[in-house]
This record gives sequence, C-alpha cells and structure tokens, in this order.
Amino acid sequence: MRVEYINPFVEAAFDILKEVLGNDIQRGELYLKSTSQAVQGVAAFVGLAGNVEGRVLFDMSMETALAIASEMNGETLTELDDLGKATITELANMITAQAVTKLHDLGFTFDLTPPAIFTGENMEITDNEVEALIVPVIVKQGKIEINVAVRERT
Amino acid sequence: MKTKTDFPSINERKPDGQGDGGQAYKVLVVDDSMFVKKQISQILTSEGFEVVGTAGDGLEGLEKYKELYPDVDFVTMDITMPKMDGISSLEKILEFDKEAKVIMVSALGKQDLVKKALMMGAKNYIVKPLDRVKVLERVLQSIK
Repeated sequence: MRVEYINPFVEAAFDILKEVLGNDIQRGELYLKSTSQAVQGVAAFVGLAGNVEGRVLFDMSMETALAIASEMNGETLTELDDLGKATITELANMITAQAVTKLHDLGFTFDLTPPAIFTGENMEITDNEVEALIVPVIVKQGKIEINVAVRERT
Repeated sequence: MKTKTDFPSINERKPDGQGDGGQAYKVLVVDDSMFVKKQISQILTSEGFEVVGTAGDGLEGLEKYKELYPDVDFVTMDITMPKMDGISSLEKILEFDKEAKVIMVSALGKQDLVKKALMMGAKNYIVKPLDRVKVLERVLQSIK
C-alpha cells in the first residue's frame, strides 16, 4: 500500500483533533500489517470506493472514546449512548472530509460511505489482499489508531 | 435592598440572539448528527436565540420550515444528509420563501458544494469543527 494514502488522514486527524481536544497530540510510529488485526473497543469505519478503494478505521478503546466524546460535548458521558456514538461519528466525518480534499487534490477520486461505529470486545479486522497501514495518534484522552487499507482499483 | 433598577450596570448588553425589541431570533436547526444539532443549539441558545425546531434530514427540514413559517428567522443547514441533502433542501426552501435565510454547515473539504449553495442563495456558511465565536459571527452577519 502506498503511504500517500495514509498521510492525508493523519494530517487531517491532527488538525481536527487539535481543534476539538486541545493541543497535546503526538504521533506514534507508523506500522504495516498484512494479516488480521485486533480492533480496540470502539471503531469508526469509513469505506472508500472509486479509482482507489478500501476502508479507513479510527480505532480506540472504550475509555478513550468516552473521554473524547465527553470533552467534545462539554459534559461527562459514562456510557457510549446515542449522543456518544454521534459524537465519535462526527469526529470521523470531519477527519475524513478534510482528508478526502487532500486526496482529491492528489488526483485520487472516490466516494465515501457515512461512518459506521463498531463497539465490542475481542474484535478483529481482516482485509483480503490489502495491507493496512496504521498510525497511532496519542491525545491526552488516550490513543487513536488511524488504520488505512486502500488500494488502486484494477 | 430595592430592585436592581437602583443599580444600573454599565456592563449590561443585549444578547446577540435578540432583536431590537428584545424578541429572540428563531432558528430551525437541520442536521443528521445528534451531536452537531446539540452543539449548534447550545451555542445559539446561550446567546439568547430560540431554537424553534430541529430536523434530521433535508426533507424534514423543508417540512418543518413550511410548518413554522413565518415564525422562523433563519435556518442552519447541514450539507450531507440522508433522504434529501442540504443543497436540495435549500433550493426547495427558497422556492417556498425567497427571503429565507439559510446558513450552510459543512465539514472542511466540501468547498464546491458550499460555493454552489452560496450561488443558489444561501446567506452564509459555517465550517466544522464548530467554533462558538465564528458560529455567532456568521449567524449575525446573515440575519442583520
């Protein structure tokens, strides 16, 4: 998988997270996986289809999701209820919308699905014939992994 | 202690969400995200605006506008929504009331759609993530 695909998502995530959560954001080491990967407790999933195709996952623990949703709402959420899920969905929306503009400028054209939220324990994701690139982003609420598996359509 | 009229305050200011007569400006909030609806409503009500209706898609937004009309001063309209998107809803609202004041709400990266909406007659636009100061500024520019 080409690294050009993931950079716009990481840059957009930095911009948006900085704006909604504050300034303390660090980037972890990028890594590549070609097999199944464990998914943490909460994952926002966005599909891409066009001259590139695949999916992006914003993956975090339930504690991190709750802390982020609480911060964005200005109130403490103790469970990931409809409002909490809508908040994480909106976060994924804002990041992908901005990343897509950058990718379109680079000549990639594709449509996005609305984000879907997965929650649960012991989940994993498998991408057939596409490797996933993962960039962990660390905010004060915890770690969000930006997990991108995209390929050119043949 | 007598009434507070005995102590005129030099800091008193009319909330921006109220017109010259002290009446609250009435807003219809159209957005499919519960989070964004809540965020916009909180920002506006904190400044004295009155949220008279909310809708979760463009079609419902259009219906609510017709129902509320003429007791609605402006609309905040998301762009990407199910059933009917914000651009089509804007178009239909303007067909119904060519004086309608509609403010588009969009994530970054939808510049073309925002431009289209402005050409069609939207009064202004707000980019997400929402910033309180910017939201109020754009809204006030649009309704005055």
